Amino acid sequence: MQSLVSEGKETTMSHTDGILKPRLRRRSALEYAAWCVCILVAAGILFSVSTNPNFKWDVVAQYFTQESILRGLVLTITLTVVSMALGTLLGLGLAIMRSSRIKPIAATAGVYITFFRGTPVLVQLIFWFNIAALYPNLTVGIPFTNIQQAVDVNALMAPITAAIIGLTLNEAAYMAEIIRGGFSSVGKGQIEAADSLGMGSFTKMRKIIIPQAMPSIIPATGNQVIGMFKETSLVSVLGVAELLQSAQLIYARNYQTIPLLIVASLWYLVMTLVLSYPQSLLEKKYNRSAATIPRKARKLTAPEGISR
Amino acid sequence: MTTSPVLANGGTVACDGTVLARGIEKSFGSKKVLKNINLEIASGEICCIIGPSGSGKSTLLRCMNGLETVDTGVLKMNGEDFGYYETEHAYHAVSRKKLAEQRTRIGMVFQQFNLFPNMTAHQNITAGPVLVKRSDKESAGRRAHELLADVGLSGFGDYYPAQLSGGQQQRVAIARALAMEPQIMLFDEPTSALDPEKVGEVLAVMQGLAKKGMTMVVVTHEMGFAREVADSLIFMDDGCVVERGDARQVLAHPQEARTKSFLQKVL
Repeated sequence: MQSLVSEGKETTMSHTDGILKPRLRRRSALEYAAWCVCILVAAGILFSVSTNPNFKWDVVAQYFTQESILRGLVLTITLTVVSMALGTLLGLGLAIMRSSRIKPIAATAGVYITFFRGTPVLVQLIFWFNIAALYPNLTVGIPFTNIQQAVDVNALMAPITAAIIGLTLNEAAYMAEIIRGGFSSVGKGQIEAADSLGMGSFTKMRKIIIPQAMPSIIPATGNQVIGMFKETSLVSVLGVAELLQSAQLIYARNYQTIPLLIVASLWYLVMTLVLSYPQSLLEKKYNRSAATIPRKARKLTAPEGISR
Repeated sequence: MTTSPVLANGGTVACDGTVLARGIEKSFGSKKVLKNINLEIASGEICCIIGPSGSGKSTLLRCMNGLETVDTGVLKMNGEDFGYYETEHAYHAVSRKKLAEQRTRIGMVFQQFNLFPNMTAHQNITAGPVLVKRSDKESAGRRAHELLADVGLSGFGDYYPAQLSGGQQQRVAIARALAMEPQIMLFDEPTSALDPEKVGEVLAVMQGLAKKGMTMVVVTHEMGFAREVADSLIFMDDGCVVERGDARQVLAHPQEARTKSFLQKVL
């Protein structure tokens, strides 16, 4: 072998031409070791999970598509969609306020964001549920007139209302920061160009800033949707019969705690995976290289007018 | 509102394409970037501003479009106090709407083009007339067509900025500024970001514009352009106007030592 190398020839060990040979990656001993450990651990877990009778896979299978579980799932999806949609709208408003040149407006949004991001969402949910303790009677009316309507806050704050309010207000704070981050990703030159054309701030926001901020906002929003889907499990403490609460209601009756938690977990996992796919597509679509030329751009061909 | 006689008749005529600066001062923090700037640019005059980087020439130009505000001094664009209105004791900032209206009469071309990447060349040009002046899409579109032809880019209307070369982008940017029918055009180093090969095509468009009698203020490093096209030349250094005069005269026979040493290096 050594003598062959010194002769400058490639090798006589095989008859294939050197240029046709594939180049192989170097595999270290660690890689083989890691494979072995992984396979052993996975096999161990699989064995334990499948043979341990306490998992009660038959119970899991029985409740996986049970009506109340599915109803809980639908409620979880509804809560996610509603609070994401409202939260994004409110977040957009907060982001615009936050980047306002008028100090009190920017400060208001700043305080809101600090407050709602600085306290746990679970605490916020319980707080909204018990808001009647602070304001037992709410009067809705037009100031300086007699037109008013008293509202019983306790009746108004049904668990599901409290859940939507709590999740929305919390999500708005996070979305505001995401959207504001998107705004600041728009170049200063763009804003100067719009200013130099005499564009008003509303037109500037709608036609220049928001379209260009979208590529950085949308993927992050996708992440928030996935996060929100799991966050809805917190509203089970308010007694809203979403996915987790539905499972809890069942195991409170039949004491099959673990199997029912597995049912809920599997549904969360399935939904997260289902949501991850469009999320990864979105991320691909809005990556940096794709963002410079809009998708609807036509292909480069010699313009027909060039010869004119 | 004002004691200025210029504004008094400025209200009747649309605008007149003049620039007047008197004692302009501007600081960024403790750094004084404009010191007692006095200048007067007549209607239809082509004025080039040259000088080393950091001399305040870009800042001066940006003040003329309200991208920066001056600290003290009088600045009249188109014969009208720009961005502020004068009262007995002070200058008060005008409303944003009024400032925007004043800006529509001043076109600005940037070093980095700053075309809107989410719009085609055609949409970039019609953005001003349609979104700001609320003119109808059809006439704005026709005008955009003419403007694209004027800058030698007819047929490129459907292209996005990222699909155009630097020189083409800058010409679209000029067309975009012209679409607002400004009386004054400001150019902030319009060819500095271009490869040497593409500089000529942008300068040719600017030269054509100059022939049409547009008032132009051009911050530039292109001494050739200054010599051929400019009427007047301003040399700035360290926030001051060092020398000002006929472009060819200043370039050929600079009076100040600082101008001489600068021109020796760049020519």
